[in-house]
Amino acid sequence: MKNRFTGVRRAGWHVGALFAVLTLACIGVAHAQSAAKTAADAAKKICAGKTITIVWEAGLQSLDPLNFSGPLWEKETGCKVKVVEVPTAEMFTKIMQEYRAGTGSYDALNVIPAWMPDLVQAGALEQLDKYVDKYGFRAELQKIAPTYRDNQMTVNGKIYGFPDDGDVFLFYYRKDIFARDDLKKEFQAKYNYPLAVPKTWKQFDEIGSFLTEKLKKDGTYGASFFREPPYTMYMFQERFRVEGGKFFDANMKATVNSPIGVKVFTEMRNENRFMPPGVEKFGFVENLATFLKGESAMTISWPPYGRFAAGYLGSEKALEWVPKSTVAGKVGYALPPGGHPQLAAGFALSVASSSKNKEAAYLFIQWLNSEEISTKRVQLPYTLRDPFRDSHFTDPVYLGLWPDAKDYLAALKAGSQTGLLDLSLIQTDKYEEALRQGISRLWAGEDPKKILDDVAKQWDDTTAKIGLEKQKAVYNAWAAKSGAYPK
Amino acid sequence: MASVGLGSFRESNFKYLLVGPAIFVLLLVGVFPLIYLLLVSFQGITMTETSTDFVGAENYRQLFDDPRLWQALLHTVVLTAIALPLELVLGLAMAQLFLDRLPGRAIFIALLVLPVVVSPIVSGATWSLMFNHRFGPLNQIIGWIMGKETILLWTINPNLVYPAIVAAEVWQWTPFMFLLLLAALGNVDRSQLEAAAIDGASWWRTFFRIVLPAIAPVMSIAILIRGLDLFRLFDIVWALTQGGPGTLTETISIFTYIKGFRQFETSYTAAVALLVVILLSALVMLLLRRVELAR
Repeated sequence: MKNRFTGVRRAGWHVGALFAVLTLACIGVAHAQSAAKTAADAAKKICAGKTITIVWEAGLQSLDPLNFSGPLWEKETGCKVKVVEVPTAEMFTKIMQEYRAGTGSYDALNVIPAWMPDLVQAGALEQLDKYVDKYGFRAELQKIAPTYRDNQMTVNGKIYGFPDDGDVFLFYYRKDIFARDDLKKEFQAKYNYPLAVPKTWKQFDEIGSFLTEKLKKDGTYGASFFREPPYTMYMFQERFRVEGGKFFDANMKATVNSPIGVKVFTEMRNENRFMPPGVEKFGFVENLATFLKGESAMTISWPPYGRFAAGYLGSEKALEWVPKSTVAGKVGYALPPGGHPQLAAGFALSVASSSKNKEAAYLFIQWLNSEEISTKRVQLPYTLRDPFRDSHFTDPVYLGLWPDAKDYLAALKAGSQTGLLDLSLIQTDKYEEALRQGISRLWAGEDPKKILDDVAKQWDDTTAKIGLEKQKAVYNAWAAKSGAYPK
Repeated sequence: MASVGLGSFRESNFKYLLVGPAIFVLLLVGVFPLIYLLLVSFQGITMTETSTDFVGAENYRQLFDDPRLWQALLHTVVLTAIALPLELVLGLAMAQLFLDRLPGRAIFIALLVLPVVVSPIVSGATWSLMFNHRFGPLNQIIGWIMGKETILLWTINPNLVYPAIVAAEVWQWTPFMFLLLLAALGNVDRSQLEAAAIDGASWWRTFFRIVLPAIAPVMSIAILIRGLDLFRLFDIVWALTQGGPGTLTETISIFTYIKGFRQFETSYTAAVALLVVILLSALVMLLLRRVELAR
């Protein structure tokens, strides 16, 4: 009996152990389930048959939810996606207008991270922490590249958006031109240092000027930039800080008109002399066309330039407007002079506080932002979404997309480690608008010092109107972030 | 007696009963927004402040402390003062030209009127391409004339930006003037013109003494309509310069849009809008009085 009893007890212990192991295994499997699968499974229950409306930047960006992620989400969950395409310049306005109207017609949003303090203060964004914990997404959020994760996700320590676009300025240069022996010898003789990727803006000016002098007769300029004010505003913000400038002093008085600001403004205008005529009117596309046609040896822009220059367009009809690259295989990638590229604009995914489907909207953005799905999205040739997770930079598929893709991803990764944030305050657009107008006056030929004095005055007036202490607290919180100023 | 009195009352007021609903709807649609605008202009609603507490005349005080507003008004007046006479003179000249029967007259008139049909924002975008420093035909033509490549930045250079806007504006709206004035010229009493010709009056004398007084009422209305349109000028300027360089070409409409829809200064924008309403109302009343005098 004893033996039998002991045997029964032993058998019971075995069954119990087996049950425990199976339970643990099930829990393990549950935990191992990807964030994408977790979101999709949950959405099946609460969203099937419903429609989520998401605001997305109009144009190529929208092809992601229209052609790829939207249909895939619907296939996996039965939940439809309606995309509201809005031009970037109108996105803030539309989001705010909808929030004020309270119609609940937007569920999920693409927001530029610099807008977050404004949108949060207005109450337009839903705080996401409770959903992040409920659906176990916190661990995957930690795998977003630190610059984006630490700087573009939270306001006052609370999560309001998932950084979803590794927008960063890269420096593109013609490797074949920089490798020419005749140019290298002449440059060395003239400037007493080798012709190489410029590390400082002084070097950039000298190299640009030299290359224009040597190559203009063949139709190539030393450099070209997009110079329309909205783009140049980001370039100024970067360069001003790289040169040691601070936007405000300890009393929150604008110091954008410091000697550093005036120096940067003056140099920027002088550089136009070695760039193609009319560069002041160059936007994203004009500058892209110039570089792709081999008419400039150096440029700075967002990551898609690198893909387009390499000819990574796939057979997408949507990209037929991109000029055929004549420089594929000849383009090198580096960080802009100073080594601290602007994390210009970018996008984060958020949930509208006025949405009637907040949880479903959250699940959709978790799914979009998850490692599994985002890796596919950043490789879509047409969507302009750029790598932003650590794993994106080392993804074997991405590394093999074109011969120099590894260099491209290495440069992007380096940018994600040293990038500088856009200035982000209460009513940021007022500060940006003053700067944009200042830049347009710069191209019109006005005195840099006078322009920047006016900009500083407008900034101070705006600060006074918002409330000095209130704005100072927001600025100090921004300035304390790792990507605010070069360390 | 009482029933007769009531009947008379009904009869005399029946007309008011008929027009009453229409007047009510008109007041609702036309006056209520104005009253609401007035109300909002005394509140402090901004992007972050949704409280509807009254702030007194703060927004109106701010009107006088805002140089950008007065500059925008000045730019609007300058553009109106340049474009309106140009459109009037060109429209009148074209109408005079097409007054006589010409071969293909109807086709030419239809072609001339085409710009009016185009949406102003499309017109602005088209002119933006015309002024494009690389691909635009204007710089090309100037280059041919000068005998060398010429790059004029029409929408950046402070000396060129106003001529560029005026050119686009005049191109689009001169045909409107032309149409109205052509109709007016067609209605000038032929017998008076023939009598003047028999008396040996010169063309100028006939024009100033007979034609101009005859078309003056229509011309005043045309000036009124175009003047009001020009005061609200937005699309073409937005497409060409967005108010730049700096705020050099910012009109009052662009200023209002930026304040209201980019920066969400809702209450201040209401005050600006009311200021514009008052200014335009005064202008309209003045012009209408002149039209009356012309009659």
